[in-house]
Amino acid sequence: MSLYEGSVKKPIMTSLCFVAVVILGIFSYTKLPIDLYPDIETNMIMVMTAYPGASAADVENNVTRPLENALNAVSDLKHITSESKENMSLITLEFEYGEDIDVLTNDVRDKLDMVKSELPDDSENPIIFKFSSDMIPIVILSVQANESMPALYKILDDNVASPLARISGVGSVSISGAPEREIQVYVDPVKLEAYNLSIETIASVIGAENRNVPGGTFDVGSDTYSLRVQGEFNDASQMNDIVVGNYGGKSIYLRDVAVVHDSVEERAQETYNNGVQGAMIVIQKQSGANSVEISNEVMKALPRLQKNLPSDVKLGVIIDTSDNIRNTIDTLFETVLLALLFVSIVVFFFLGRWRATIIIVITIPISLVASFIYLAATGNSLNIISLSSLSIAIGMVVDDAIVVLENVTNHIERGSYPRQAAVHGTNEVGLSVVASTLTLIAVFFPLTLVSGMSGVLFKQLGWMVTIIMVISIVCALSLTPMLCSRLLKLQPKQSRVFKLLYGPIEKGLDAFDNGYARLLHWAVGHRTIVIVGCMSFFVLSLVLVRFVGNEFMPTQDNARIGVTVEMPIGTRTEISKDVAMRLYKQWMEQYPEIVMCNFTVGQASTDNVYASMSDNGSHIITYNISLTDPDKRKRTLSEICDLMRKDLAGYPEIKKSQVNLGGGMSVMGGETTIDYEIYGYSFAETDSVAAQLSALLREIKGVSEVRISRGDYQPEYQVDFDREKLALNGLNLTTAATYLRNRINGATASQFREEGEEYDIKVMYAPEYRTSIEDIENIMVYNAQGKGVRIKELGTVVERFSPPTIERKDRERINTVSAILSGAAMSDVVAEAQKKIDQMSIPSGISIQLSGSYEDQQDSFGDLFTLMYLIVILVFIVMAAQFESLTYPFIIMFSLPFAFSGVFLALWLSGNTLNVMSLIGAIMLIGIVVKNGIVLIDYISLNRERGMGIREAVVKGGHSRLRPVIMTTLTTILGMVPMAIGTGQGSEMWRPMGTAVIGGLTVSTILTLILIPVLYCVFASVGVKRRRRKHHERLAASNSNS
Amino acid sequence: MKSVFITFDQAHYAQILETLDKLSCRGYSYFEQMRGRGSKTGEPHYGSHAWPSMCSAIITMVDDAKVEPLLKRLRQMDEAAPQLGLRAFVWTIEQSV
Repeated sequence: MSLYEGSVKKPIMTSLCFVAVVILGIFSYTKLPIDLYPDIETNMIMVMTAYPGASAADVENNVTRPLENALNAVSDLKHITSESKENMSLITLEFEYGEDIDVLTNDVRDKLDMVKSELPDDSENPIIFKFSSDMIPIVILSVQANESMPALYKILDDNVASPLARISGVGSVSISGAPEREIQVYVDPVKLEAYNLSIETIASVIGAENRNVPGGTFDVGSDTYSLRVQGEFNDASQMNDIVVGNYGGKSIYLRDVAVVHDSVEERAQETYNNGVQGAMIVIQKQSGANSVEISNEVMKALPRLQKNLPSDVKLGVIIDTSDNIRNTIDTLFETVLLALLFVSIVVFFFLGRWRATIIIVITIPISLVASFIYLAATGNSLNIISLSSLSIAIGMVVDDAIVVLENVTNHIERGSYPRQAAVHGTNEVGLSVVASTLTLIAVFFPLTLVSGMSGVLFKQLGWMVTIIMVISIVCALSLTPMLCSRLLKLQPKQSRVFKLLYGPIEKGLDAFDNGYARLLHWAVGHRTIVIVGCMSFFVLSLVLVRFVGNEFMPTQDNARIGVTVEMPIGTRTEISKDVAMRLYKQWMEQYPEIVMCNFTVGQASTDNVYASMSDNGSHIITYNISLTDPDKRKRTLSEICDLMRKDLAGYPEIKKSQVNLGGGMSVMGGETTIDYEIYGYSFAETDSVAAQLSALLREIKGVSEVRISRGDYQPEYQVDFDREKLALNGLNLTTAATYLRNRINGATASQFREEGEEYDIKVMYAPEYRTSIEDIENIMVYNAQGKGVRIKELGTVVERFSPPTIERKDRERINTVSAILSGAAMSDVVAEAQKKIDQMSIPSGISIQLSGSYEDQQDSFGDLFTLMYLIVILVFIVMAAQFESLTYPFIIMFSLPFAFSGVFLALWLSGNTLNVMSLIGAIMLIGIVVKNGIVLIDYISLNRERGMGIREAVVKGGHSRLRPVIMTTLTTILGMVPMAIGTGQGSEMWRPMGTAVIGGLTVSTILTLILIPVLYCVFASVGVKRRRRKHHERLAASNSNS
Repeated sequence: MKSVFITFDQAHYAQILETLDKLSCRGYSYFEQMRGRGSKTGEPHYGSHAWPSMCSAIITMVDDAKVEPLLKRLRQMDEAAPQLGLRAFVWTIEQSV
């Protein structure tokens, strides 16, 4: 018993099976987490090493380089990039996709262990981060405070950060802008020298005094007591009474040579939220955790946390990424529902019977809901990709059911009982339904094999659509016949109202059929004109390619802007702060769209993970701005960004500025950049090439901003020691340098403990003794004999400039020039830039390479084109197998070029660009457009087999198949319309895809309906003539023989 | 005793069985899948790509008196759905075991 026979005979079982699937699907749906994108495999590992007090060049030489050399041996490494900046070395290892990141992490850890001993003593242990989109902060909270400001760090750490960090899924919670407590021992160098003391001695004395020592146990009578010395300071002021040395028989107390400050760190970041000073709490999620869930939890916890805070400390939300996710997903849900509505209307319009419409439309929710089971089973989420797959599939899942229903209806009209008609009608079309669905699966299944970044997107799309199609075909072969046998009537009675309403539609459809038959009749008689006409249309459409720009990913409007402003290097924090405030006030006035504006200024401490990964310094101001939702404002994100760029240009004191669309926090859908990587060791040469290049790029139309990755040179003082003099004094360079470091950066003597927290006790020169070159020159260095020598006797202090950040890629120094585009196609800009670069004179040893979005785009486009060939071949194979012919699939394949014409035409008309999303649309078209051809050719050849002549078969076949073709095409097109015209948040992403499919399918269907029958005529008559000729030859041969 | 050989489009199967039951014609043999075409009108039933429908056949042995009512009902059935096709032929049974 076949599937359809069984289901017609057992309606209860069949319907309940589907009910079970729907219930399971709905159950899975409620369990599905929501996210923006499918889980992106991590392929990056970051190694962060702090080297406090070291300059960029020192970090490069002493930390980055040895680490890079060791890490380069890790297998499957694609790129190794590094940034060496003051205090910090950041190495990023990029691996090939698909490798097991845990294995690689272990590998990296082993290599780090090997090289650890080569690192400088003062550098901290390298920390390994598995970097992925998960590292992007999901929630940024603002904190406003007045009186509590000095103690803010501790307040926030205890009352906000720690509770938040306990929420499951939260990776790290960093506090910026609130300075940490530190106990400083400011030493007067003059007094030190007078008493013959040094910073090192003081530091070691403090360390020795501040201790608790267990003294063991002893017995007194019958009891055992433990003995302890509790020497730790209870209060910072106790340190004043420490004896640090003796001079002239008198004890020298710490208070005699130094001042103890129980204060906050000297250099700290300051944060302002909507103009009020406070702090910023950045929450990052753990790898694989769900952002929306975490952000919900965080939001829920906020009121509770607020209660425990002092009254002047106010928590607020700067950025909640889950807002964007929720909005985007909501928009997509609307899209899916609209598509469902449109498809239902089309089906009713063509069938004119509500029972038939229900039979067809019911397959949609079943197939879609069933796909949720897959998502839940594989641990995926509801995201842009999975939901747009639903939207794509809606128009296609009904096709099979339509074909089955149509044939069953035919049987009923010929007089069969519905039950019999359902079984036999389905039996007749079963095979061709499976075959036509196979062509679609041949398109979508290969998508699951794509690797790399685009693979992340397409894998899920491929699986989702494949699964939905498989379910839809099962549905069409079981549920549809069952419902047909139950719901369809032998002679449907039509009410008068219905006839009145539907009569004109039916007449219109009939007239349409007849008109098409006449057109086809004419076309078959004028084959050359039709073929030449179609070919020239295709060639003309190729001209359009030049006018359609291309980019990697559409830019997404997530209502966030990140701005980084750089003042001249070395600008004091107070001055930067002043500029930041002015800018803030100006923007708040000019852009009512701004909901929240937060800025941070100043140098971050080394233990702030989030801040270390981004640029910071006393001259750098970083803004986080969030806007109202895109549909609630007139200006788009990029318009506002462009205006802000203009505003920034009006401040002469600003050296450099960057306006990042989307806050620079999204992996995909951020703005398009073309990066030129300039490799070369010499700073001077690469800088001049970068400057030339950026000047050239700025001239190109459509480039809105050019950035040079290498920051401005930082003035610094370097001490050039004379090794001979060092040796004479019994010193070596390291000892001398450590002396310098302890006096300026400070020596951490010990930890002050209070209420379970530890704070550093730092011993250093008082601030007034480290303000000039002389101060440094006068630093006294003691040798092993205790003899003091001044720095100026050991070497010279000179002022030099060095870049604040030294970037390297693949172990070579690199300087990147990036052009940000707005309103221009990437391909055009690249071509023009290349022309200009060719004219540049580039010094030897320096090379320029293209990367950035352009490289990604080239990679992905390359992958997609390979995929396209593969898919075309697969589709051809499926069709050839179905028709058992090579000619028919060949004819049908002629509908493909026009699909691409349509794609270009639609993209050009709608002003969209050719990007990964529209290319996916084009790939999907391969499967969709050949379906029309299959239906037509199948019926025409059936007519031929029934004994009709070629022309009659073609015209009659076209006449009879026009409605099914138009109907299935319209369901697909209208299913895509909500995607193509959507305006909600995130719609920029799928708009190009919707537009591409609509354009391609429309143009290709119109031309397919005319060209394919004509081509069939051509090929068939060639076949007939060949057979005739052979027959004549045989006749002639037999005649001559006889 | 007469034998009635009925060839029909598969869709008629349920109706014909019902008719036989009503006329209490108990014995019959049923050929489920058959191919064929009519002598004058009607679509061929080949189960092929061009002519996908199939016919079935039933041969039943009935008393002479039941032949006429049976044929009458079969004729009605055929006239109700002429496009499906239904034919019946009657032989005389000379001997049986």
